[in-house]
Amino acid sequence: MSGGLSWAMVALGIGVVVFRRRSVAVALVTAQALLLALVALRGASSTHDVVASLALGVRGVALATFFWLLVHRTRETRPVRAGIEPLARGGAAIGLALALIWLIPDLGLESAAAERSALTLVAFGLVTAATRRATLFQVLGIVLVENGLAVAALALPGSSSLAIEIGITVDLLLIAVVAGVFHERIFAEFGAGDSTALGSLRG
Amino acid sequence: MASREWLGVAVLVVSSLGVTLSALVPRRALARVAVVTAVVTASASVTLATVALSDPGTRQLGRWIVVDAAGGLLIGVIGIVGLVSTLVSPQVLGHGRGSLFQASHAERVYWVTLFAFWTVLLAVPLAGNLGAAWLAIEATTAASALLVGFSGRGRALEAAWKYLILTSLGLGIALLGILVLSAAGGLGLETLTWRSLAHARLDPHVTLVAYVLLIAGLAAKIGWAPVHNWLPDAHSEAPAPVSALLSAALLPAVLLVAWRSQHALAPTIGERTAGDVLVGFGLVSLAVAVPFLWRPQAWKRLLAYSSLEHMGVIALGIGFGGRLALAGVAIHIVGHAIAKALGFYAATPLLGHEPRASGHSVDGIGRTQPTLGASLGISLGALAGLPPSPLFLSEVLIVAGGFQVGRPWAAGAAAILLALGFLGLAHALIETVAGTPRRRDRDTAPGLRAVTALTVVATTMLLALTATALWLPDSAIVSGLLRGLG
Repeated sequence: MSGGLSWAMVALGIGVVVFRRRSVAVALVTAQALLLALVALRGASSTHDVVASLALGVRGVALATFFWLLVHRTRETRPVRAGIEPLARGGAAIGLALALIWLIPDLGLESAAAERSALTLVAFGLVTAATRRATLFQVLGIVLVENGLAVAALALPGSSSLAIEIGITVDLLLIAVVAGVFHERIFAEFGAGDSTALGSLRG
Repeated sequence: MASREWLGVAVLVVSSLGVTLSALVPRRALARVAVVTAVVTASASVTLATVALSDPGTRQLGRWIVVDAAGGLLIGVIGIVGLVSTLVSPQVLGHGRGSLFQASHAERVYWVTLFAFWTVLLAVPLAGNLGAAWLAIEATTAASALLVGFSGRGRALEAAWKYLILTSLGLGIALLGILVLSAAGGLGLETLTWRSLAHARLDPHVTLVAYVLLIAGLAAKIGWAPVHNWLPDAHSEAPAPVSALLSAALLPAVLLVAWRSQHALAPTIGERTAGDVLVGFGLVSLAVAVPFLWRPQAWKRLLAYSSLEHMGVIALGIGFGGRLALAGVAIHIVGHAIAKALGFYAATPLLGHEPRASGHSVDGIGRTQPTLGASLGISLGALAGLPPSPLFLSEVLIVAGGFQVGRPWAAGAAAILLALGFLGLAHALIETVAGTPRRRDRDTAPGLRAVTALTVVATTMLLALTATALWLPDSAIVSGLLRGLG
C-alpha cells in the first residue's frame, strides 16, 4: 500500500473520531472499506486474491447499507453529545496512535506506511469506542479497528488464507448486525442511541 | 482423516443440526427436538472426551482440527454443561417475562442462538490453527450477546451491549496479534497451526509483541482483570442456563486458546516470559476479585466475581506450568464448571422464591428452603475451596506448583489472595445458608426438583473429582498436558 493511500485511510479515520453526525461517519468508514477493496483488487495476482478483495468490497457495501438503514430507522432529534470535545478526542486518538507506533517495533508487514496506517486506525477505533456515547459510533469504532486490521492483512508478506479471510469478514458482519439489533432496541427503550442512558440504570 | 478427527467433525455437525432443526420444526415440538439433539451432541462430546483422555499420549494434529488431552477435557465440560443448560431451559423460558424478540418468535430464536452458541463453543477447543480459533471465539460473541440480552430488560441490554463492545474490541486486538505473528513467520493465516507455530523460526521481539497483543485481547473475553468489566453484568443478566455456559464453558474454552498460544510461542520468547504474562493476569484478577467477594452481592453477581477469581487461578496454574500446577489446572477447570453451573441452575428456583435476590444478597435461604439452601451451599462451598471440594486440592496443587518451578513470590502472593478470597466466600456461604432470613415474597421455588437432582449428581461428581485429584499429578493425562501440541 502506497504512502498516499495510507494517509487517505488515516484522514478518513480521524473524521470518524471528530465528526458529530452519524451519517457522515458511516460515509467515511464506507469510503475506507471500498478503498481497501480497490487496493486489494489492484494488487490481486490470483483468483484467490480476487475473491478475497471482492469479499472486502461486499463487506463494505453490506455494512454501509445496514448502517444507513439503522440511521434512518433511529432518527434522533439532535446528535448525542460525546461528552468529550472533538479537539480533545482527536488529540487523544493521535496521541494513542503515536504511542502505539512508538511502542510496537517493526511488525514485518510489506511497507512501513501500511504498518503505521494499521496501528493508527486501530488507535482511532479504540478512542472512538471509548469516548463516544452514541451507540452507533461505538460500533463504528469496532469497524475502524477492523479496517485497520484489513490494512495489515493486505500488507502481509506471503500467501494468506481465503477461508480465514472470508470467515473474518462474515464474523465481523455478524457482530455489526447483532450490535445493530441492540442499537435499535436501546433506541426504542430510551429514545436515543445513547450508552450513558444504559449506565444510568445502575442508579 | 483419523477417527478422532471424524469424531470432532461429528460433534460439530450434530450440534449444528440443532441450529437447523430449531429453525425448522413446528413450535410445539421445539423443546423436545432441542432436548433430543442436545442428548446426541453431549453423547458425541463425551465420547470424544473419553477417547482423548483415555489415551492422552496420542494426539490428532490436523490443520483445521486438533484433539488432545486438554481439548478433550474442555469438550467434555462444554458437552455436559450444554446438555444440562438445554434440559433446564424450558423452565426458564416458561417463566420469562418479555423478550428482546417478538413473543411469537422468542422461543425459536432462543433455541437457535443457544445451539449456535454451543456449536461455536465446541469448535474453540477443536480448532487446529490460531486463525480458526479466533473465528470460533468471535462467533461465540455474536450468539451469546443475543442470549445475554434475551430478556430485553434495560439492564440486560446494558450488559449485552457492554459485552459486545468490550469483547469485540478485545478480539480486534487479538487479531492484530495474530496478523503480526503471521507477518513474523511469513505464514498464511491457516498455516498458523499450533504445531507449526512451535517449530517456526520467528523473530523473538516481534513474537513477544504479537503474544502480548494476543493474550491482552483474549483477556477481554476470558474476563481477566483489568478488562473484565462486562463479566459481572453479563453473568447476572443472562438467563441462568446461558450464565452457566458463559462461566463454566466459554471462559475456560477461550483460556485454552491462550494456553495453547503460550505453549506454542514459549520456544521463541522463552518459557519464563510466556509464563510471566499469564501469572501477571492471574494475580491481578485475584487481587481485583477479592474485595468484591467480601461485599454482599446478588447471587449471580457473586458467582460472576468468583469466575474472575477462578479464571485468575487457572491463569496462574498455566503460567507456572509444571506437573503439579497443570494437574491443578485440569481439576480446577472441571471442578469450577460443576460447582459454578450448579450455582447458576439453582438461581432459577431462588429467583422464583425470592425475586429481590436478583439485586440483593441472599440471607438464610437454608432456614426457609432447606433443599435450595443445600444446593446453594454446596455450590458456594465448592467454589470457596472448602474441603473436601476438589477446588481446595487444585488450588493447593497450583500454589505448590508455583514453588516447584521456582516462582516463590508469585506462589506466595497467590496463596495469600486465595486465603482472602476463601474468607470472603466462606462469609457469603454462612450468610446465604444460615443467616437471618428476610421476608419471602413467595412460598414456591419453581424448578426445585430438577435442581435437587442436579445437586445430588454434582456432589457425587465433585467428590469423585477430589478422589481423582490424588493420583492425577503422576498420570498420563498430565504428561499429555505438559507435552501440549508442539
